[in-house]
Amino acid sequence: MKIEIDGLTKHILGTGDFISIDISKCNNCGSCILVCLVNLWGRKDNRIYISEDYKEKCLECAACYQVCDAGAISFQYPAGGTGVIYEKG
Amino acid sequence: MKTYDLIIVGAGPGGSMAAKTAAENGLKTIFFERGRKPGEKNSSGCGLGPRMWKQFPSMMKDLTPEKCPSLRAGAAARNYFINEEGIVVGYVMTRPTESVSYEPAKSWITMNCYRSEFDPWIAEFATYAGAELKNSTLIVNLLKKDGNICGVVDEHGEKYKAPIVIGADGAVSMVAKQSGLRTRWAQDQITVTPQYDFFAPPNKIDDIMGDEALAVWWSAIFPASYQVFFHDGFHQGLGNWLNKWDKNPLFYLNRVINLKYYQRLLKILDAKPRELQSHLLPWLKYPYNTHTDGVILIGDAGGFPCPLEAEGIYPAMVTGKIAAEVAAEAITSEDISKSALSKFDEMWKKTSVGEEFEAGEELYNIWKALPFSPKETMSWFVPMFMEVMGGIYDWSQPHAKRVRQIAAHVKSYMPKALPFIMKYVFPLVAKIFENDLDKIMDPQKLMSVIPKIMDLLPKKKKQRREKL
Repeated sequence: MKIEIDGLTKHILGTGDFISIDISKCNNCGSCILVCLVNLWGRKDNRIYISEDYKEKCLECAACYQVCDAGAISFQYPAGGTGVIYEKG
Repeated sequence: MKTYDLIIVGAGPGGSMAAKTAAENGLKTIFFERGRKPGEKNSSGCGLGPRMWKQFPSMMKDLTPEKCPSLRAGAAARNYFINEEGIVVGYVMTRPTESVSYEPAKSWITMNCYRSEFDPWIAEFATYAGAELKNSTLIVNLLKKDGNICGVVDEHGEKYKAPIVIGADGAVSMVAKQSGLRTRWAQDQITVTPQYDFFAPPNKIDDIMGDEALAVWWSAIFPASYQVFFHDGFHQGLGNWLNKWDKNPLFYLNRVINLKYYQRLLKILDAKPRELQSHLLPWLKYPYNTHTDGVILIGDAGGFPCPLEAEGIYPAMVTGKIAAEVAAEAITSEDISKSALSKFDEMWKKTSVGEEFEAGEELYNIWKALPFSPKETMSWFVPMFMEVMGGIYDWSQPHAKRVRQIAAHVKSYMPKALPFIMKYVFPLVAKIFENDLDKIMDPQKLMSVIPKIMDLLPKKKKQRREKL
């Protein structure tokens, strides 16, 4: 059985961004790309970016924020009552 | 602006315990939850240990399958061993041993339930005691006046005032950050823990797993992975410090799922993946920076998970209760300074949690060097251990000869095993038994003796009887 992760998470979509990257601080180390379980980070033209649809997929573990030694990633939990829902956590 | 005696950010087990204790001490208390209800954002699962029943008996006896339908108690634990080829080369099933003295712990090792049921259950004790729970509310900042912390601000700009704020807001704590206690953890103080929840029919779990509460999959190809059984499902997860990953954490978790043995287990359990979860889990040698003027950090926010296997709920409840007691005293005596709140450290150090951390560094080091180092350590540990456990099951040789072969093979692992024992096992044993064993446990002495003992193993078999 290969596990398809699509459909294994549930979200209540909120408004407003809760993760952002300050490219001027980013050292391009790629640790955020490595640790994100659901692959929300990418690199294009040598710049790190977060997927546009991250709010629909983010598990809110904040590993990207925590792993960023350059302090380029800002993370705040999504608005109260929105974001990922763990029914069997 | 609303005014309280005590504000608690977070309504997990620690926050709820603090809120309950504070309300019972007569404090006007509010606690905040960013989910629509407590437990909606948490994915650590609950392996509740007997210590909780020992310490909070009147509460815990209320935890029944009616209140928490996912509740499952188990007496057995299984340890699987997986080699570099991804083969389950053995397992050891254990039950409570003869030396277990606390009566309930003889019949079960953990009670497991989902946080989506446990957290609301425990929050109710706090609201029943009179604390106000505000759900669906994200606290985004601390309220400050003349540089002093005096409350919190929510996402809508609403202000709540109180002389003391307890940070019960988990690994990525806003309270820790805004109070200047911690910006973020060092990479070797925090683990990321991906986890699948699988559905499985309760009768299948009972028939196949019996009364197993949990399993640990010790492996040479992924960091140790845990499996926890609930009434109608189970978690499979693993973690490691953030600086230890060379591939995506999910890649390693999928290695567990893709083991042939695991696939068979999924098949017979009729198990289906139900949810993917991830969380950060602090894993420290010793908690520090736990408080400052008007602020106390508890549970994960304070870095209190167990330094050996990261049990988090019990330490959160213990530190939550103590923090509320200290806060109540500080408010009564009108001294909320850092030095007055240092009583928090004094008190938790005297508890079972404090005792756990006395050997925190040694426990942390051995965990880091063994289950969290699959390539470096488990790659030789697993075959060495299995040589001892299973080497005798070979009928191609006379048994006595076989034993000599096993001994010789185990000896070949000694260049790796002995330094490991010296570096990680002896310091731990010496710490646990303090000075009693210093004399016989002197690593220098043992290093000189053990290889000699190994050399005494006969290389050639002596003839027992003279030839006729």
